[in-house]
Amino acid sequence: AQDTFTLKLAETWGPNFPIFGDATKSMAQMAEKMSNGRLKIRIDSANKHKAPLGVFDMVKAGQYDMGHSASYYWKGKVPNTLFFTSMPFGMTALEQYAWFYYGDGMDLMQEVYEPHNMLSFPGGNTGNQMGGWFRKEIKSLDDLKGLKMRIPGFAGEVFAEVGVNPTNIAPGELYTALERNTIDALEWVGPALDLRLGFHQIADYYYTGWHEPATELQFLINKRVWERLPADLQEILRVAMRTAAYDMLIHSQHENAKAWANIKQDYPNVQIKNFPDDVFQAMYDANQKLLKEAAGNNEQAARIVKSLEDYQRDSRAYTRISDNAYLNTMAEIE
Amino acid sequence: MIGMIMFGVALIMLMFGFPVAFTFGGVALVFGIYAEGMDLFAFMPYRIMSVMQNTVLMAVPLFIFMGVVLQRTKLAEQLLTSMGRLFGGLPGGLAISTILVGALLAASTGVVGASVVAMGLISLPVMLAHKYDKRLATGTICASGTLGQIVPPSIILIILGDVLGLPVGDLFRAAVGPGVLLIGLYIVYILILTRLKPQTAPAMPKDDDSISRGKEIRDALLAIIPPLALIIVVLGSIFTGIATPTESSALGGIGAVVLALIYRQFSFKMVWDAAKDTVSVTAMVFAILIGATAFSMVFSYTGGDYLLEEWLLMLPGEQWGFIILAMLVILILGFFIDFVEISFIIVPILAPVAEALGINMLWFAILVAMNLQTSFLTPPFGFSLFYLKGVAPPNVRTIDIYKGIVPFILIQILVLALIVIFPEWFGMSSTY
Amino acid sequence: MYWIIKLDKSLAWLSKLCGVIACLAMILMAVNVFYDVVARYVFNDVSIAMQEMEWHLYSVVFLLGIPYALRTDGHVRVDVFYTRWSNKTKAWVNILGALIFVIPFAYLIGRYGYSFALDSYQMGEGSGDPGGLPHRWVIKAVIPLSAVFMATAGLNMVTYAIRVLAGEKEYVGEHSAGGLA
Ligand code: NA
Ligand code: NA
Repeated sequence: AQDTFTLKLAETWGPNFPIFGDATKSMAQMAEKMSNGRLKIRIDSANKHKAPLGVFDMVKAGQYDMGHSASYYWKGKVPNTLFFTSMPFGMTALEQYAWFYYGDGMDLMQEVYEPHNMLSFPGGNTGNQMGGWFRKEIKSLDDLKGLKMRIPGFAGEVFAEVGVNPTNIAPGELYTALERNTIDALEWVGPALDLRLGFHQIADYYYTGWHEPATELQFLINKRVWERLPADLQEILRVAMRTAAYDMLIHSQHENAKAWANIKQDYPNVQIKNFPDDVFQAMYDANQKLLKEAAGNNEQAARIVKSLEDYQRDSRAYTRISDNAYLNTMAEIE
Repeated sequence: MIGMIMFGVALIMLMFGFPVAFTFGGVALVFGIYAEGMDLFAFMPYRIMSVMQNTVLMAVPLFIFMGVVLQRTKLAEQLLTSMGRLFGGLPGGLAISTILVGALLAASTGVVGASVVAMGLISLPVMLAHKYDKRLATGTICASGTLGQIVPPSIILIILGDVLGLPVGDLFRAAVGPGVLLIGLYIVYILILTRLKPQTAPAMPKDDDSISRGKEIRDALLAIIPPLALIIVVLGSIFTGIATPTESSALGGIGAVVLALIYRQFSFKMVWDAAKDTVSVTAMVFAILIGATAFSMVFSYTGGDYLLEEWLLMLPGEQWGFIILAMLVILILGFFIDFVEISFIIVPILAPVAEALGINMLWFAILVAMNLQTSFLTPPFGFSLFYLKGVAPPNVRTIDIYKGIVPFILIQILVLALIVIFPEWFGMSSTY
Repeated sequence: MYWIIKLDKSLAWLSKLCGVIACLAMILMAVNVFYDVVARYVFNDVSIAMQEMEWHLYSVVFLLGIPYALRTDGHVRVDVFYTRWSNKTKAWVNILGALIFVIPFAYLIGRYGYSFALDSYQMGEGSGDPGGLPHRWVIKAVIPLSAVFMATAGLNMVTYAIRVLAGEKEYVGEHSAGGLA
């Protein structure tokens, strides 16, 4: 009989966290079925390991064999992990997957994770994230000045450049903080997950996204564990991860569409807004400036940023004359 | 099975009187090393870190600080005795005042450790000085200090909202009715008890026989104003959005120091001593949290969570049988297991069954929340009981606290039953 | 016996030192949070670094407070039997508890906490949020530091218990936090 392998996976999410958690479960199920039971993956959610943002360290140290999380969470530890989730004004999910699997994406990602004894694979996409819930309308750059907003990470830095005050609020107090104007706005994910937290009950303006056009989660694997797996199980795991990732993208589309229909019907007060052009331009400029800074003092960052920009330029040109053109034409006749 | 045996051993070890926190931690250590080896404890720094980054828990030291300053400056005593005087010749006035202050604190925080300890500091010495029965006094404090879990904002409700996928706002609104009823019934209980046994809660003596009742009320009202203003600052800052609930506790602490200044009670020594007390009591609360997290770590990594899952799947598939048994299971598990674990391990197993039975999830969530709130009060592992014991004078024994809480647990169960039987009283329905 | 008394006093001094640092952190934390609220509400100014400083200070309060409370006997005990026992029995409970529970527990937290902090140091970990605090290893290092002091406080329980057994000291009340209320 052949050896069986049981891998322990730590995910950043709580148990039964929709969409994200489903991606982990479907990956585990596929791997087990395809390997005829030789590859088992046991999932521990955040309630068990109590370290949602410790997944990187735990997989690195070998306390867990695998992880399911998002690369940009490790920006404070390894700055260049930032680039493998989603960048403000970056690529769409389709474009970004093309970059990962057919462009340089995967190679660059492995290069960044290699010194930490891990491999990282795409782990499912949320699609375009919404720009957040605002209690008042943003009509000009002035409306953003001094606005207190919960928005973490790189997007927070971009917002800070245009005068927003990024603010830390414990997730458990987000709802109360927004309801009582302790903060003016917050960014979460998209309709399906935002609906669970009830922000639509207290904020009228729901802005379209710009900061995370294609948030890609990640599967992490400890390198020694990966090398111990026989070639066929490696391939099975690779296929399971890739399929689960793609499945999460369409699952997100499905759930978000459903949730949005609900919000529209039950909360007609909610209005979809785009940021005005000058706001958009200012944020874009801020983003370019920050990217240049990031690339300026780090050779690896410079290569990654260049790869992202080059790929996005070419890929986007095609998107414009294909999907984009089609949607525009459709919009006129609908 | 190891997890279950561990609970029994911990229970026995606790009786030796070694500090609770280290008994939990130590028993976990022995079982953990035996079952999984030393490396299991490599998870401990992560778990401690998650407590460190849980900024909601910052309310614990801050509220305790407020409580200690109010106590050291005698402002708390002034608040409670004046409130007690307002009740005139009515026995139990101090206990009722305690419940009311507890209700106010409950509306400003959802952290049990914070409110139980603050209430213990503020009102236990006053009640004991006025010859209250120890059991009545401690029961009242534990129960009203734990109200914060059901009265919004509440951590249990936020976690349940996350686990069950319900909007937090809906849960908060639904919890108001049960919370108010609980407060009301606590007061009714005090009134009945003091009528039957007046010696358990003697009425406040009059200030001076010569002064009129009118003047007494006026004086009492005047004396209440400063500490009450402080509570209003705390609550007001939350309701107006000036501060988050956690931050409001800092306003309370600084505000108490300002009050001390106004009343010429301030000295740097007073602040330093208050800080020392605060550190000591905070350490007591967090040591228990850390010991308990080691305990639940060993429990779940030795398969305890899977075992529970198996047992729960044997619950009946018919609405009333399911509800009653599910509530019983949570209540009993609540004796032993931390509410966060229950919310994350057990509720997700019960939820799909409840949903399939057409049970209204909002109603179900409130039932679970009430039940989990009760778990803070149930001997022997109820955390509220430990917290109060940690700040009580030595002549208040653990056993007094255990006995004192029983009537309040019965009230909790009564309210739980009322919500089960008459959901419409609370603006809910049991099914869709 | 002389050196036991000397050791006991030195160890107690360490725990008290923890207490002093924790008290300072406590006062600073209250001021820090108060300042952040005022800055945000009155001056509409938010500093993520200051917000992160809040939980850094709060962590110091309880992590260093734990060894301090061990020395002051501030940790809650179930006193069903304990209060009725003689000083001698109490001393044995404390010696065994310290040796079997406290010191090994502290050892494991210290050992794994050390690698936890070291890894953070080697990666140069900082906050991932805009304007957040750098040098995350500093606060992570408080975990093993706390464990070291927890261990010395555990040892201190033993030295104190030996003094009690020798009849030179006794346990007053079952914990000194009592009387706080
Ligand atoms: Na509350
Ligand atoms: Na309990």
